[in-house]
Amino acid sequence: MSMSTGMIQDRPPPPRERGPVAWARRNLFRGPVNTVVSLIVGYLVVAAVVGLVRWALDSPAWTQVWDNLKLLAAYRYPSDLLWRPIFAVGTILALMGIGAGAARRRGEGEIAGGVFWWFFGLVAVIAVVALLYWPSVRLPWTLAALAPLAALWLGRTVPAAGRLLGWLWPLGLIFVVFLLVGVGGDGPFRVVRTVEWGGFLLTLVLASVGIVVSFPLGVALALGRRSDLPVIKWFCIAVIELVRGAPLITWLFIASLMVPLLLNTSPDTVPALARALVAVTLFSAAYMAENVRGGLQGVPGGQGEAARALGLSGWQSMRLIVLPQALRSVIPAIVGQSIGLFKDTSLVFIVGLFDFFEIGRRVIPSQPASLQYTGGVLLELSVFMAIVYAFFAYRMSVASRQLEKRLGVGER
Amino acid sequence: MTETPNARPPADAHAPEGGEKIIEMAGLNKWFGDFHVLKDVDMSVNRGEVVVVIGPSGSGKSTLIRCINRLEEHQEGSITVDGTRLTDDVRNIDQIRRETGMVFQQFNLFPHLTVIDNVTLAPIRVRKWKRSKAEERAMYFLEKVGIPEQAKKYPGQLSGGQQQRVAIARALTMEPKVMLFDEPTSALDPEVIGEVLEVMVTLAKEGMTMVVVTHEMGFAREVGDRVIFMDAGQIVEVGPPEHFFENPQHERTRGFLSKIL
Ligand SMILES: Nc1ncnc2c1ncn2[C@@H]1O[C@H](COP(=O)(O)OP(=O)(O)O)[C@@H](O)[C@H]1O
Ligand SMILES: [Mg+2]
Repeated sequence: MSMSTGMIQDRPPPPRERGPVAWARRNLFRGPVNTVVSLIVGYLVVAAVVGLVRWALDSPAWTQVWDNLKLLAAYRYPSDLLWRPIFAVGTILALMGIGAGAARRRGEGEIAGGVFWWFFGLVAVIAVVALLYWPSVRLPWTLAALAPLAALWLGRTVPAAGRLLGWLWPLGLIFVVFLLVGVGGDGPFRVVRTVEWGGFLLTLVLASVGIVVSFPLGVALALGRRSDLPVIKWFCIAVIELVRGAPLITWLFIASLMVPLLLNTSPDTVPALARALVAVTLFSAAYMAENVRGGLQGVPGGQGEAARALGLSGWQSMRLIVLPQALRSVIPAIVGQSIGLFKDTSLVFIVGLFDFFEIGRRVIPSQPASLQYTGGVLLELSVFMAIVYAFFAYRMSVASRQLEKRLGVGER
Repeated sequence: MTETPNARPPADAHAPEGGEKIIEMAGLNKWFGDFHVLKDVDMSVNRGEVVVVIGPSGSGKSTLIRCINRLEEHQEGSITVDGTRLTDDVRNIDQIRRETGMVFQQFNLFPHLTVIDNVTLAPIRVRKWKRSKAEERAMYFLEKVGIPEQAKKYPGQLSGGQQQRVAIARALTMEPKVMLFDEPTSALDPEVIGEVLEVMVTLAKEGMTMVVVTHEMGFAREVGDRVIFMDAGQIVEVGPPEHFFENPQHERTRGFLSKIL
């Protein structure tokens, strides 16, 4: 055939060597620089693993973590009311479940499903541990694990559930606030003041409120910065530059002093939590605004022109055409910043709050029981806290990568 | 780009008497900063006419047709489209944009939306059609431009020629009274230019009013009613396509045509 057409016939590629030795030669020891780097890194990895194993065999004081899990999780939140934050976790997981189920129905469930199953797995493990060891929270944790499964099934089978999600989320979040704060009276629904909140509960509240509120705020600031109206434009620039100009810790300080001053009340009427939330949210919004602005600049001018030539209003063209493209291109930056915010909430000890990190750093070590231990205690706690932070941060970045990939469909 | 001395005052490009004028421009002047980009442009287009605008790069062709739907704002003179005078009144601008479709050199499809969503977006949001009606009309026009099978794809998955045909369908689904084309084939690979021109020829033969910036003189000869030659922001010469092939009057016109023909 190749003779008749005068064309060269396709050939298979030359065979590749297989097996571990060939792999190592190709990937680890190709050339002298590569070999030296591989050896150094290899030595460091082995040394770290050996050190870790030696420490693990040396009976670390994990009981310090185990005995203080309640403090780490919720600080002084009343023990008899712990079912309330647990139900809050269950509610949010159930909402995720409906979303995951509905997404699955539409045949696009990987991202929502991935997030759901990851956190469901965590709650399920806790529920099993609770069944075995913690009689007082056995029932709430079991419910918090089972209800989301029911929600997942609901989302998958009932189309209306998925459609109502836009309403269910806000309603669910209001419900969560009532669960955490309480309603009144002396009974199971009594009010738990925010000074009693702490630990991972507080960290989650700070991070999620900060992320969720700072996102629209940041978008608004970014749009304002591009506004044709000078007053709005300069106001937004001033806010963004001012807030980004000083470290978060300064804003936490300032918020704790300024908010009561601005509202003209005594410092005690505005809870420290609210003050910290203002600082964290504003701080995050300023960075969010700059991320979004970068994205807006990356959208070609022809996009807005095409939208307006079709008769869409300026606002419609921004909301439907320009902003979606801008946000998509800055997802990695936005998620990265959210992860940063999640970890930076550990600075709120500055304003007297006891977040997850502060519990491990100061509260537990200062307890009478801990004083019997000499050394080592902080290390185990730190390792535990690092694992917990990393678990959540990693999950966020996985979701971000999946999202990028999914939204990348049809990109130029 | 600098103004070469011209023996005659700029020509005006009025549509033949007797037709119903759908676009009228009178005494149009526009500046970018200090740069005088459109100079005393007088021009009108009858309903059903196909007007081809040619001229060297930078002569103001894009600016001229972008003034018609207010993508550019002019400083002097008047523009009237289908009886609506283009003023600062947003309602008038919106009215005119609804009635004029535009096709760009760079297609400007929305990359985050599927083809069908690109096409139905404005009918649903601006004309307030039901989705079912919008999709039915969209499919009608996608079939007309020859790519109904691509409806569920994203623009990035299509070839340049297919993208430009989607862009034409997107503009047509709004059922505009006038179509503006700004060098619709200049960004295309040579082998797909034909498929886009074919769609435009069909459209012209069906009686669509079109203002087309293009150097495809074959298109002009086949369906063009009038050709306008612009240079340095002025209309230099106007006439039927044959006029430009047979005896262009102006020195600058002859110079330009010798380069593109
Ligand atoms: N937004 C703008 N700002 C300043 N100058 C512009 C702008 N758009 C176009 N111009 C200038 O106006 C002149 C005419 O441009 P244009 O209408 O795009 O020409 P054409 O389409 O005939 O090539 C060119 O010299 C160009 O550089
Ligand atoms: Mg041009």
